[in-house]
Amino acid sequence: MTEDILQHSPILKLEDVAISYETRYGDVEAVRQVSFEVHRATTFGVVGESGCGKSTVAFGIVDFLGANGKIVDGSIKFQGRELVGRSEADLRKLRGDQIAMVYQDPMQALNPSVTIGDQLSEVLTTHRGIATGEAWKKSIDMLNRVYMPDSANVMKRYPHQISGGQQQRVVIAMALLNNPALLIMDEPTTALDVTVEAVVLDLIEDLKRDFDTAIVYITHDLGVVARVCDYVGVMYAGEMVETGSVEAIYDNPQHPYTQGLMRCVPRLGTTKESSRLYPIRGRVPAPKDRPKGACIFAPRCDYATDKCHSEHPQLRDIQNGHRARCFYSEVIDPDAWEPPEGLVADVPPALGAEEDLIQVSDLQTYYEQASRSVLSLVGLGEKQYVKAVDQVSFSIPKGKTLGVVGESGCGKSTLAKTIVGLEAPSGGEAHFLGFDVTLPLSNRDLKLIQELQMVFQNPDSTMNPSYTVGHQIARPLERFRTVTKDSVYDEVIRLLNAVRLDGSYYHRLPRQLSGGEKQRVGIARAFASRPELVLCDEPVSALDVSVQAAVLNLLMEIQREYGTTMMFIAHDLSVVRFFSDYVAVMYLGHVVEIGPAENIYAPPYMPYTEALLSAVPIPDPTAEQKHIRLEGTVPSALNPPSGCVFHTRCPRRAEMLPDGGRICEVERPPWQHNTDEHRIYCHIPLEELRKLDPVVTAV
Amino acid sequence: MFVRDYMTKHPVMVEPTTSTVEAQGIMAETKIRHLPVVETGKRLVGLVTRERLRIPPAKLSSLNVWEITRFLSNLTAKDVMVKGKDVITIGPDATLEDAAQTMAKHKIGCLPVVEEGIIIGILTEVDLLVQLADLLGVGVPGVRVTIRVPDRLGEFAKITSAIASRNWGIYASGAIPTPKQPQSWDIVIKVRHAPKEELIEVLQGIEGQQVIDVRET
Repeated sequence: MTEDILQHSPILKLEDVAISYETRYGDVEAVRQVSFEVHRATTFGVVGESGCGKSTVAFGIVDFLGANGKIVDGSIKFQGRELVGRSEADLRKLRGDQIAMVYQDPMQALNPSVTIGDQLSEVLTTHRGIATGEAWKKSIDMLNRVYMPDSANVMKRYPHQISGGQQQRVVIAMALLNNPALLIMDEPTTALDVTVEAVVLDLIEDLKRDFDTAIVYITHDLGVVARVCDYVGVMYAGEMVETGSVEAIYDNPQHPYTQGLMRCVPRLGTTKESSRLYPIRGRVPAPKDRPKGACIFAPRCDYATDKCHSEHPQLRDIQNGHRARCFYSEVIDPDAWEPPEGLVADVPPALGAEEDLIQVSDLQTYYEQASRSVLSLVGLGEKQYVKAVDQVSFSIPKGKTLGVVGESGCGKSTLAKTIVGLEAPSGGEAHFLGFDVTLPLSNRDLKLIQELQMVFQNPDSTMNPSYTVGHQIARPLERFRTVTKDSVYDEVIRLLNAVRLDGSYYHRLPRQLSGGEKQRVGIARAFASRPELVLCDEPVSALDVSVQAAVLNLLMEIQREYGTTMMFIAHDLSVVRFFSDYVAVMYLGHVVEIGPAENIYAPPYMPYTEALLSAVPIPDPTAEQKHIRLEGTVPSALNPPSGCVFHTRCPRRAEMLPDGGRICEVERPPWQHNTDEHRIYCHIPLEELRKLDPVVTAV
Repeated sequence: MFVRDYMTKHPVMVEPTTSTVEAQGIMAETKIRHLPVVETGKRLVGLVTRERLRIPPAKLSSLNVWEITRFLSNLTAKDVMVKGKDVITIGPDATLEDAAQTMAKHKIGCLPVVEEGIIIGILTEVDLLVQLADLLGVGVPGVRVTIRVPDRLGEFAKITSAIASRNWGIYASGAIPTPKQPQSWDIVIKVRHAPKEELIEVLQGIEGQQVIDVRET
């Protein structure tokens, strides 16, 4: 009630801001007509796909646009003062005292050659003129405030000596040392693991409450927005197309673009059998190709009329401060939306399970590490091993998909590389179509190589930049003689068409393609040899949501058509749930839980799975999620914990096992079978684990 | 009830070099009446209020129309602010009643909240009025009763136990010596979820006390 009476003016107010970059082709308008307000102790989320101008807006607020960027129109008011046209010296003072920024990569913000303590206390000694000793003490207090364990010691360390999540906390602590009125965060958790991300997001919530800071939060992740933001602005092609409270935007999106975005993300719990993802057709236009004097979204909009193509809509109030830039917001009913013809292909039904295509048992991949002792110099030292993959057993039935999830460094990629032959296993067995795949790649039969292909995370680094697309896809065709020499060209075109690219792409170079298109070429190349098994290592992680939806659909169609078996590695649990028939959860080189997807996402859970699920940001602000946060970081694989590898961070063992879970520290847990296919690597009896509530309950 | 929890954090501030024209604009834009003046690191050096921006007519009448323009455009926050030590401030750990007393004593409308010379917030008379209203539970539906009690120990306990015995709860309360009647106190309570008639009956049953006002809000 106090809040109602004390109507504070907004901390930040943007009105009709337009920002341009000077280029060789003249000024390019990157952002136009952007207006929003940010109030104290609230978070305003700016979402949109890459290239929509989100970061440009953030940089524009503090005029960090670089030499060729300039604000050409509108006003940016901070605490009632106009920022546009202010001198560099004035702005620098503001940035130091009242506005702080946190960016995506913490290593870019920290000086690698200066200790964390010196970097933090420097903020206070420079901007506040506080004495060194006092500044040091205040810095420790602030590190404690961001829940840094062992803060006094962390002060003496260098940035590379702490983990990524801790680095980001140091950056946030640094930003808050001057108690800023406004905090601008540009994708602050995108580079972090989901469990670390959850902790950082909790921290941002706490700090907003305690420091009354206004936050501008830029992200592409609709789940993160639902968790931390109070108000949201959706950007498309440089314009704000919809703004409103987070509940209004998610419950009742008014702009066709927002509605489209919502259809692109799999909700946690949906599967490919029960629902489809609908990509938005077309792509975000480049700034110079944006339609002029028309609705910028019209070319991709299913509801567009002649009016949309000839008149530019304004952002207008639809109801209670929920605003959209659309002529027809009141008329459009998103529930009545039908996918236009050809947007998603009909998918043939999945095949019934047949015999296992690949069987892996007790697979190990160890990396030898030179010991630091003097003896090792003469070859007598005890050898140490990084146990990247340890005791991994699984099998995949033909035509099914196994999803592999886990934090970074848990051995997901090493497992894929071992199977495909890029890493030599140190032990265990792996059989694929009757071949032994533990043998070195050079000994492998050409037939085996042909049947086993891989799609990589980053299409940029896996395509030769100087070969045309056609050449790159033709290469495996020629190598494996999948088709006769004369028909290679036709086959390449057929493959391009299969990934929804037309024949004109044959002669293009990789740099002429967008990220999503490159990934499609990568998929076409992997499927060129008509393999039985395709290993996909984070194939959609680097892509925008609408492109991600298109690529997932594509993979699914190709899989159903050819009956291909897949191993799908990802860190996004909603995507894995959506796409996979079976899921394996990995931790520190071990598979800790494996089974059909629906079993993994419901109790009984392995405690690690439970923690992972409770950390995933869900794109639904009303869903209830259990609050479980893991302490500490993943231990070193060089010296994994004894007994159960997860015991050092397990939040359940103390409360659910007698004697505080002593057994977990000394004894390896047994594989407990919940069903034939679902097994859990844990000491806690299944009956106890079954009693746990589901992590997510939709309201 | 400490200043720290009720002050407005991140107050709007200006530098000594800010022109009075801009200061005036900021006050109008943000609808505030007090502007702390700070140097680097948010060190408080002065305070500009709306009164301070009123230039005495005597000063202006001595200038001709051309001089007025120049006089005004050269005027900065530093020239008009209440300076340094003359600004009355308060610490974050002071109580709200201390703050109220300080403001009443000096007849001022705002107190910059300062910690080690650095401004961390501002407390205005409006903040105090809001807290006064909140203290008595304004805007919360319930029955507001004023009871006049004799000035002796145990009277308030009689009220609370009478209400507690009926499983009602007191949402807000305040007590003040009755104006011009040194022998008695007026106690104001707000009770929620209690039927008005029953509540009056219970309170009238307390010996020696007098229900002098009942209203439903």
